[in-house]
Amino acid sequence: MKIAVCAKQIPDPALDITYSEGLVSRPDEQVLDDTDRYGIEVALQLKEKFDAEVTVISMGKMGTEKGIQQALQMGPDKALVLEDDSLSGSNSLMTANVLSELSKKVEADITIFGTESTDGYSGVIPQQVSRMLGLPCISYIKAVDIADTVSLTRQTSTGSEKVQMPSNCVLSVTAGGVEPRYPNFKDIMAAKSKPVEKISLSDIEFSAVQNIEFIDIKDVSTTKQGEKIVDEGEGFQVIIDKLKELKAI
Amino acid sequence: MKTLIIGEVVEGKLSSGTLEIIAKSQELGLEFEVATVGTEESPNIGSESFKNTYLKCNETQLSLGSVANTLKTMVDEQSISLIMAPSTYVGRDLIAFLSVDFSSSQVSNVINFSIEEGNVITSNSINGGESEYNSKITSDKKFLLIRPKSFEEVQVELSNTNYETIEINSEDPEVFDIFIEEKTGPQLEDSKIVVSAGRGMVDSSNLSLVEDLASKLNAAIGGTRAIVDAGWMPYSQQVGQTGKTVKPDVYIALGISGATQHQVGMKDSKYIIAINKDEEAPIFQISDLGIVADTLSIVPKITENL
Ligand SMILES: Cc1cc2nc3c(=O)[nH]c(=O)nc-3n(C[C@H](O)[C@H](O)[C@H](O)COP(=O)(O)OP(=O)(O)OC[C@H]3O[C@@H](n4cnc5c(N)ncnc54)[C@H](O)[C@@H]3O)c2cc1C
Repeated sequence: MKIAVCAKQIPDPALDITYSEGLVSRPDEQVLDDTDRYGIEVALQLKEKFDAEVTVISMGKMGTEKGIQQALQMGPDKALVLEDDSLSGSNSLMTANVLSELSKKVEADITIFGTESTDGYSGVIPQQVSRMLGLPCISYIKAVDIADTVSLTRQTSTGSEKVQMPSNCVLSVTAGGVEPRYPNFKDIMAAKSKPVEKISLSDIEFSAVQNIEFIDIKDVSTTKQGEKIVDEGEGFQVIIDKLKELKAI
Repeated sequence: MKTLIIGEVVEGKLSSGTLEIIAKSQELGLEFEVATVGTEESPNIGSESFKNTYLKCNETQLSLGSVANTLKTMVDEQSISLIMAPSTYVGRDLIAFLSVDFSSSQVSNVINFSIEEGNVITSNSINGGESEYNSKITSDKKFLLIRPKSFEEVQVELSNTNYETIEINSEDPEVFDIFIEEKTGPQLEDSKIVVSAGRGMVDSSNLSLVEDLASKLNAAIGGTRAIVDAGWMPYSQQVGQTGKTVKPDVYIALGISGATQHQVGMKDSKYIIAINKDEEAPIFQISDLGIVADTLSIVPKITENL
C-alpha cells in the first residue's frame, strides 16, 4: 500500500494573516497546518497496520521547510514537494491539479487530506483531487476503525454513516476524529535525514487556469462598544433584566 | 444568466440554505432552476414559482460522484453558466466535482454576489470573517459555494408535486451504520435564543448547567470547536467557521474566548451576552453585554432566578 498525505505550510496561525495584492503574505518560515495532522495520523495508523509507505506531498512556497519537517517528524517516510512562483495565488483547482499529480508521482493508492486549510479554507481540494484521479472520495471522516478492513465514519449533516475504505480512494479527515501523535526527540532527529524530493511544474501535467480575478479586500471586522461589568454578585440580575428588556423571556 | 441552484432536502423539505439562494436569485432576476439532492421519498420541494428536479439517491450508497455526473449533463444540455450550492457537506462535494468537470475553479465561502455586465462578482469571507475578498470570475462557468445565512430565506409554499424525480443508481461505495442524531428541543438554526458553551465551562459534566439554563430560556445549545473536538458535544452543535452560522435574537456565550473562527458563526446575532472570567477575552469586543465572571457560579444563579 502506498499513501500520499497532504501537508500545507501556513504562516504561524497565532499571528494575524496579512495580505498583499490579494495574496496571503507568506514568510520564509511557515509551519505545518494543524488541520493536516489529523490526515497524517490516519496515514500513520494505516502504515502501522498494512506496512504502507507514506509520502508527504505539498505545494507552495517552501522557505525553510519547517512545516514539511514537522510533518515528517510525525512519522511519514519521505516528502515530495513542488514550488513554482507562477503558482502563488493559485485557485483551488490549480492546487488540486498539482496535488493530484504529486499523488500520481508517488503511485498512491490512498491520498489523504485534512478537510480545509486554516488559512484558505476553501474546503474542496480533497474532492477535486479525487475527481481528477477518478477515484471515490470519502470526505469528512471523523473516526477510523482499522482491522483487516478499514471502516471510516463520515460526518453528515444529520449524524454519521460508515463506509468501508476502498482500495483506491481519496480521504478527507476532520479535526478531532483521531488524536495526532506528538513526535519525541528521536522522531525529530530522524526526520532530518528523510528524503525531501523537489520537483517543478514542468515535471507534471498541469492544465488548470486562473479564473478568479482579484478586485479588493475590505476589512469588515466589527467591534461593539458594549457594556462590560465585573460581576460582584449582581451579574446574574443584570443579565435577567436585560433578557426581560429584550422580551426574550 | 442561466443558473442552476443545487439544493438539499432536510427533514422532508428544501433546506434553508437552498431557500436563501433561491431568494437571492429571485431578487437578482436570474433565470434559474433547482436540482435537489436527497434520499427521502417524495419530499416537499416543489413550487409553482420555479422548476425543480429531484435527484433521488440511495441512502445506502455514497453516490455524490454520480449525482455530479447527472448535474454535469444538465449544465451542458441547458447551457447553464452559474451554478450555486449552499456550503454544506453535500454542496461542497458536488461543487468540487463539477468544478473539475468544467475546469473552472469555484469560489468558496461566498457571502454576497452580484451580476455586473454579464460578470459574476463575488464577496467571500476570509480571515475568519474579518475581511471580505471581492473578485470577478472570468470563466464561462461560474461555481459558487454560498455560506448559509448570507441571505433571507424565500417564503414559498412547497408541495410534493411540481417536480420531476430522477433516480440515481450507481456502483458507488456502500454506506452502512447510518446514524441520525436525535434532535430534541430548539434547533440552532431557527431558535430565537442560543446558549453556547466553550472551554470555560471547565468540564463536560458542567454542561448540565448550560442545559438547565437553555431549557428555562427555551434556547438551542451550541458550542465551540474546542469542546466539540474534546467530545463534550456533537459536531452538529458547533458554531463557527467550520460549523453552523446562527443569527438568533440573543446569543449567550459562556466561557468562550471569541476566536475569529467562532465569531464568524455568531457575530451577526442581534444581541450578544458574554460571560468570561478574563476581562481581556476577545468575545467582549463583539458583545453588547459582557459580564466578567466565573461561569460555574453565575450560570446556576441565572437559571435559579429566571
Ligand atoms: C480552520 C479552523 C477552523 C475553526 N473553526 C471553528 C469553529 O467553527 N468554531 C469554533 O468555535 N472554533 C473554531 N476553530 C477554533 C478556534 O480557533 C478556537 O480555538 C476555539 O473557538 C476556542 O474555543 P473556546 O473559546 O471554547 O476555548 P478557549 O479559546 O480555550 O477559551 C476558553 C475561554 O474560557 C474562559 N474561561 C475559562 N475558565 C472560565 C471560567 N471558570 N469562567 C469563565 N470563563 C472561563 C477563558 O478565559 C477563555 O477565554 C477553528 C480553528 C481553525 C484553525
